[in-house]
Amino acid sequence: MHQARWIDFYRTMTRIRAFERTAREVYTAGKLPGFLHLSIGQEAISTGACAALRADDYMASTHRGHGDTIAKGVSIEGAMAELFGRVTGSCRAKGGSMHIADFSQGILGANGIIAAGVPIAVGAALSSKLRKTDQVALAFFGDGATGSGPLHEGMNMSMLWQLPMIFVRQNNRYAESTPLVEHTGIVDVVQWACGYGMPGIRVDGNDVVEVYDTVNTAVERARMGGGPTFIDCETYRHYGHNIGDPGTARPKDEVEAWKARDPLERHRERILENHIATEAELDTIDAEEQARMDAAVAAAEAAPKPELHEALEGLYVDEQLGKQALQGVRQ
Amino acid sequence: MSALPQTAGREITFRDAIRDALFEELGRDPSVFLIGEDLRDPWGGAYKTTVNISAVYGNDRVINTPIAEESIVGAALGAALSGLRPVAELQYLDFVMRAMDAVVNQVAKVRYMSGGQAKVPLVIRAQGGGGRSSAAQHGNSLESWLCHVPGLFIAHPSTPYDAKGLLKTAIRLDDPVFFIEHKMLYMNKGYVPDGDYTIPFGVADIKRRGTDVTIVANSRMVLYALEAAELLAAEGISAEVIDPRTLVPLDEATILESVAKTNRLVVVNEGVERCGWAAEVAAMVQKRAFSDLDAPIERVCTRNVPLPFQPDLENYVLPSVPDIVTAAKTALYFN
Repeated sequence: MHQARWIDFYRTMTRIRAFERTAREVYTAGKLPGFLHLSIGQEAISTGACAALRADDYMASTHRGHGDTIAKGVSIEGAMAELFGRVTGSCRAKGGSMHIADFSQGILGANGIIAAGVPIAVGAALSSKLRKTDQVALAFFGDGATGSGPLHEGMNMSMLWQLPMIFVRQNNRYAESTPLVEHTGIVDVVQWACGYGMPGIRVDGNDVVEVYDTVNTAVERARMGGGPTFIDCETYRHYGHNIGDPGTARPKDEVEAWKARDPLERHRERILENHIATEAELDTIDAEEQARMDAAVAAAEAAPKPELHEALEGLYVDEQLGKQALQGVRQ
Repeated sequence: MSALPQTAGREITFRDAIRDALFEELGRDPSVFLIGEDLRDPWGGAYKTTVNISAVYGNDRVINTPIAEESIVGAALGAALSGLRPVAELQYLDFVMRAMDAVVNQVAKVRYMSGGQAKVPLVIRAQGGGGRSSAAQHGNSLESWLCHVPGLFIAHPSTPYDAKGLLKTAIRLDDPVFFIEHKMLYMNKGYVPDGDYTIPFGVADIKRRGTDVTIVANSRMVLYALEAAELLAAEGISAEVIDPRTLVPLDEATILESVAKTNRLVVVNEGVERCGWAAEVAAMVQKRAFSDLDAPIERVCTRNVPLPFQPDLENYVLPSVPDIVTAAKTALYFN
């Protein structure tokens, strides 16, 4: 069994939660520019799915991508500095919360456009097949992407070419404010997967072990040339669409019911019940991760903002042609 | 007069120049592959630019796709981000509208948004332009839209020689290139040297030397401008025809030098006039060479309507050789 990894899962979920809670605090304090979409409540999916991937596997995420990118290995310090708009950010403050990427970790990017990461992941899976490696690609997307064209194009292409591709739907039941029943024609979209000819599995997305096991099976089959899998993970976000969402879109009792199924609390209880770690040991992990976030915030606040000239840099690889392309523009 | 080499080569069609560039680059670099609709043999592409390529290199180097433009470009981007050098084909430039998010929000921006981490060695080829009654959804000239997107290079050749050399450069660059081929140029012939050669981006070619008026044109409009220059010459007017070859980056220096000499400028572009590339060139020249100009800059573009199907109507709204002659004379106060 992989119970030895349960502690790792706990640490990663705790890290994501601590990151986002901290980000929420500093955002509310007026220290972060831009948007902030929190995935608190969805950590089990990011953690379980990415735990089944190797460092050289590919992952594409969404606008709600902090958890996914942290689970795939982005530097906490880099991600936090990115939110703060500091030059030490993982994207040198050019991307922000919705565009965190670390290509050295196989992270093809969070993405501000719904379902746009899917074809990019499909292309990475195609590339892996053409290069004859055993890398796989995983695309996260929300239930809001379910009716979007690129998802369906990507499912068809993956099946057609038998690509090492894993589709992971983070079904938090709301597309911004619109509930599932108002944006998707069937409840069980796993039927669509079957319609495309690929295995489709619905899992409890608030159970990190179940997510891990399911994605792991899909990854193993994909590595051996068995083609794509669609995994529908049921979950819920504890907060609104973004910070600033007044929270009027969802019934309060529904929110409370889902908070009672908190994935991090459930995993903690399971670890304790199975005597894999003591309460004190888990508390230590909690404290270590929060301390790391506090340090990341302090480092980000101390770091410089980018120089203004950086706004005109980093667009093209070819510096000479890039400079010529910017000729005549206001410099 | 132009830079076309006249020796040690063959006369081939524009289409074969494209095809040969693809074929040779596939042979030179195993990470290059083609992806798009209908590319494989025996069909060999809607405009036959990939004939006898899959037959030689196999189906792993030439990927036929579903009709799903956003995913063709998106998947090509994913492949470019993971070690390959895709050349994607969009069959018709009009179909880029189905892929606009992938082109604009993803391909063009991913390097910048990631703080310079990503490298996107990707070419997107598309065939565009009017002139054969392909009507409003198969004859658009959308290069101005694409020029508006920071992060892309835009090549738009007019001759077989330029097409082959520019396409090879495009494939070897580590940046995304949108490469537009005019459908009415494919059967045109021109000299292409034997063996490997490339043409740098951002270097205009002066297709005809002249002293009285500068005509800047791109793609098929270069040929129209050359015809117009012949007619003007018969009337004693010496026109200089400049083909920028790449719209981004633009060889501003060559245009400005010519205007400094002729003091008059006509910009010809097949896109509709409003907010088009010709306006951009005109803005650049009036700003940087205002004192060189002896007349208002003339634009010759497509009228601001969708392309009509009926040939007479289509010709009426597209730029024509007489339109260019008239514009040159206007710039010279002949009219």
